[in-house]
Amino acid sequence: MAADASAAATDRGPVPVPDRGDARWLLIIWVVLSIIGCLLVVLVLGPHLPPGRASNVAASQQVDIIVLSGMATPVVIGVLLYFGWALAFWRKRPGDETDALPLHGNVRIQATWIIGTSVIVLALAVYGTVELFVPGGAGSGQGPQPIYNNGVTAAKTDTSWTPNSGNILQVQVIGQQWAWTFRYPQFGGFETTHLVLPVGQQVQFNVTSLDVIHDFWAYTLGVKADANPGVNNIAYATPTVTGYFQVRCDELCGIWHGSMYDTGQVMTVSDFMAWAQATKTQLASLTKILPPYALTYDPTTIPAGAINQALGLTSAGGGYYNPADPEQP
Amino acid sequence: MSLPARVVTLVVAFLAVVAGVLWVVFDIIGPQPQTENYTAYAKNGAVDVTMMTTPQTTISNRPDWVSYFIKNPATGQFDHTTYFAVPANTTVNVTIFGYDGCTPLRNPLWGRVTGVVNDAESLQIYNGKTLSSPQEVSTFDSWANCSVQHTFAIPSLGINVPVASPPTVDENNALCTVSPCVGTDPASGGAPYSVVKFTFKTPNTPGAYHWQCFVPCGGGFVDGNGGPMGTPGYMMGQMEVEA
Repeated sequence: MAADASAAATDRGPVPVPDRGDARWLLIIWVVLSIIGCLLVVLVLGPHLPPGRASNVAASQQVDIIVLSGMATPVVIGVLLYFGWALAFWRKRPGDETDALPLHGNVRIQATWIIGTSVIVLALAVYGTVELFVPGGAGSGQGPQPIYNNGVTAAKTDTSWTPNSGNILQVQVIGQQWAWTFRYPQFGGFETTHLVLPVGQQVQFNVTSLDVIHDFWAYTLGVKADANPGVNNIAYATPTVTGYFQVRCDELCGIWHGSMYDTGQVMTVSDFMAWAQATKTQLASLTKILPPYALTYDPTTIPAGAINQALGLTSAGGGYYNPADPEQP
Repeated sequence: MSLPARVVTLVVAFLAVVAGVLWVVFDIIGPQPQTENYTAYAKNGAVDVTMMTTPQTTISNRPDWVSYFIKNPATGQFDHTTYFAVPANTTVNVTIFGYDGCTPLRNPLWGRVTGVVNDAESLQIYNGKTLSSPQEVSTFDSWANCSVQHTFAIPSLGINVPVASPPTVDENNALCTVSPCVGTDPASGGAPYSVVKFTFKTPNTPGAYHWQCFVPCGGGFVDGNGGPMGTPGYMMGQMEVEA
């Protein structure tokens, strides 16, 4: 009896699918939705995508995200459309015990798929590689010898800075558990807890650390660079709008890592010059006791005074107690 | 393995896991230093907060860790805690009795007084015999003079106050040995110390503000920043601003 039923099913063969012109309709709907979707992503959502356009590198990063989102939109729409279409029209009907149509290799579809995805991936690889360098290293830390610097030579020895001139504004970012400080070598080397930048001027961030690894992340400026002890990590950005921005540490650096944030400010060039000169004067007495400006610092070797030496404290590196201290980790 | 043996093993393993969780919860996460609440003691928009630094914490199970203590406004005793509460939009007059010895700052920047009234602190030194007259200080050079023992810093409010240390080698070698450093005994409250006073205003909005020391005083730990530098109740704490 069972054998008879099986034979009957085999005899029936695959149920023919009614020709509704699925491929044609799918293609038409996909093209229409993709055009709408891309327009929405690029024109409506795009301007609101992170990290904004507060600097040239941030704007470039936003464009990258818009491009990637725009390219992903037709793919996402195609997958969802095909999924929905299958649910609506190709699902198994009640009482239908037959197999679907047997699948055979379709060279045209396979070639289209392989070539299409290859083109997309390779194009994005080229685009992404270029965007890592344009503009100014994409705001990322490039190490002590940056590959791309917008044609401006790293001015390690500049002792002054003039807006709109060839010498780039240097700002040293120093991480320490658990605070950021900032030095301005072209303004006498004063150090402050306030990060202030001029609008429309390219800035070279020299990022380093006094202890463990931190990560300088000025999110809305599109700048992100690891702060490593003993290493000068260079990143570039040109702020394009005045206002405030957040600075955070993006490397888990200890118990108060979450509190290691700051608020920076971008102001007009004239306001910045006034602030820098005033701060230079205000902090003159502090600047005198700071170590000379350098690209990196080693607090374990300090020019300790007489009392420090008498007490055996010739380092600011911690670990002053006997190595046999029972609290050794 | 027999059924009873398997049951016993399972129960023992379960109890071990439960015990471990309870230990983590109650012995590591749970305990927080008590909060000295000064809110009720504010008068005319101002409140006085008193603290102390000590070279050790003999009343704790970490006797060789440096620590802060805060005076209990109700009892007048110094409690081993770094948490305190003050009202919002209130002038806070802080007094710190600094009983520890000097240590160079990792970054001399933190030798500058900021975020408090006049960006300066009032400093007196007790050398074991007499207390000096108050003098106003705005910057300490901890590398050249070894003049700082700890700092009281609330980075989010821009507050940084170095706690001066006794200035001579002899004084640094005759520090308090019992904490809290109270009384007149040369080994405790009578040991050399500094008196640091400063004033700042709390924010208008309630919230919790972490404060910390910027001297790498976690002896024996990496960069001097472990141990007491990372443990509530020692060299870091919280200022709770209440409505």
